[in-house]
Amino acid sequence: MSGGLLLAQGEPIIPDFGEGSDCVVENRFFCPDWVRDNWAGVIQPALLQHVKLVVIAVAIGFVLSFAAALVAHRYRLVEAPFTAFSAVVYTIPSLALFQLLVPVTGLTVTTVEIALVGYTLLILFRNTLEGLRSVPPDVLEAARGMGYTRGQTLWRVELPLAVPAMFAGLRVAVVSTIALATVAALVIPYGLGYPIFLALREAFKTEIVVAGGLAVLMALVADALLVAAQRALTPWASARRLA
Amino acid sequence: MIRKHNRRAAKAAYSVALGVALLLGLSAAAAPAAPQQSTPIIVGAKNFPEQYILGQLYRQALVAAGFKVGYKENIGSTELIDTALKSRQITLYPEYTGVMLSVTFKRKSLPKTPQATYSLAKQLYERRGQTLLARTPFQDRDVIAVTRATAKRYNLKTLSDLKRVPNLSIAGFPEWNTRWRGQIGRQYGVKGFKFVPLAGISAYQLLDQGDVLAADVFTTDPPLLGSKYVQLRDPKNMFGFQHVAPVVDQRLVQQYGTRFTSTINKVTRLLTVKAMQAMNKAVIVDQRPAARVADAFLKANGLKKK
Repeated sequence: MSGGLLLAQGEPIIPDFGEGSDCVVENRFFCPDWVRDNWAGVIQPALLQHVKLVVIAVAIGFVLSFAAALVAHRYRLVEAPFTAFSAVVYTIPSLALFQLLVPVTGLTVTTVEIALVGYTLLILFRNTLEGLRSVPPDVLEAARGMGYTRGQTLWRVELPLAVPAMFAGLRVAVVSTIALATVAALVIPYGLGYPIFLALREAFKTEIVVAGGLAVLMALVADALLVAAQRALTPWASARRLA
Repeated sequence: MIRKHNRRAAKAAYSVALGVALLLGLSAAAAPAAPQQSTPIIVGAKNFPEQYILGQLYRQALVAAGFKVGYKENIGSTELIDTALKSRQITLYPEYTGVMLSVTFKRKSLPKTPQATYSLAKQLYERRGQTLLARTPFQDRDVIAVTRATAKRYNLKTLSDLKRVPNLSIAGFPEWNTRWRGQIGRQYGVKGFKFVPLAGISAYQLLDQGDVLAADVFTTDPPLLGSKYVQLRDPKNMFGFQHVAPVVDQRLVQQYGTRFTSTINKVTRLLTVKAMQAMNKAVIVDQRPAARVADAFLKANGLKKK
């Protein structure tokens, strides 16, 4: 065993592995037959995993940033440390972050989600806080004049007025997370990054086109949904537009 | 997806992240120790087709021999998979002997024979709790290829013959130029050529179109199966040796003994260049799933019941 090389005892038998279609073998730009054969087994699961990665990352990132922004809005002292923390996390290259996390959280979805959540914090925190701060002083004064308490002012005046800024942050966070989540495939075979990485290595065009195209489509759809959600949440804005 | 940043920010970032990681690690270590349990077999594979095939071959052969086996594939870089190995996220993975020395153990100069390369790597792994099982007959190393027509026209057989080619151009991965330009000049007298970095287009396509005259490719690439291209010999072994050997956690060998090692070695022994090229072709060109290709190969060679 310590000898290293094992002498081959005769050549191995190489069985027939089956052949790909002409389109696949010639590696044309787009082979519908490959997509049909691999939709259920490769593409669809990767797409659903990608959606899951992004939704979880942005949801957790939003909850953390929202809470941090509310605290920072009330106690200014908190702003600088949280901004510094999220900015530092933002500057860590994803591959380096994975390298640091793998010994602790393993080759798991958790490792990827920690990284993705980390990258959303800066954008979401800044935007939420800016939104809260952008409320004009005379509006706040009017609220106070109407006898609103601090809590009432926050929930009825400041937060609704901060919605557009928050959504601006969410849109950037969602679209960038959709793109960033493809690197999850460096840690686990998960998400749209997996078929993209596979196809890049093999220079297989159809798979790059399908998986890459779906990532772009997903970003567009998510952005459109967020715009629609924002309109629904801020009816006064569209009323003003119509006026 | 690597962000640009200045050195200071990076240093700060690393130290903060390291601190967080350390804290998490310490709190995990402080948890009550689990009862003594056996080390699981978890096969790992890097992120390219040949590795998926190798990973599947070892995984399926072990399962067929009655072992319980975990499997994790598509692990990013050599550094990342080594981190996974050291932290026992995986306990076995196939690696190239030259890469073990140059990447994992950061060796500047490489030994002059395949056996010395293998032995040194094995020794280095054993110092930190892993070992190597037998290595494959095939190796997947850099080779300069030209089309048959070019080889005939300039009578090219070895790397030093490239000296005689006017307006020589060589295609390769971007890092090839920094790594090998000096070497090929010093060892074979090949100098002053134009380097064409590969970006999203295959080296073989560039050769076919006549965009470059020579290209750095890998010995197990499927296009080398036919006789369309000629591989130039490297008598001084400038490119080193890249046989594959499974890196395994030493605990696995202690726990399962020869029943485990012989199962793996039986697979390893079958892996000739022809076999590897054929399997790579099935996965890369015909887009067959690596798991099915490995299954067919093991069954054909009696390592898995039909």
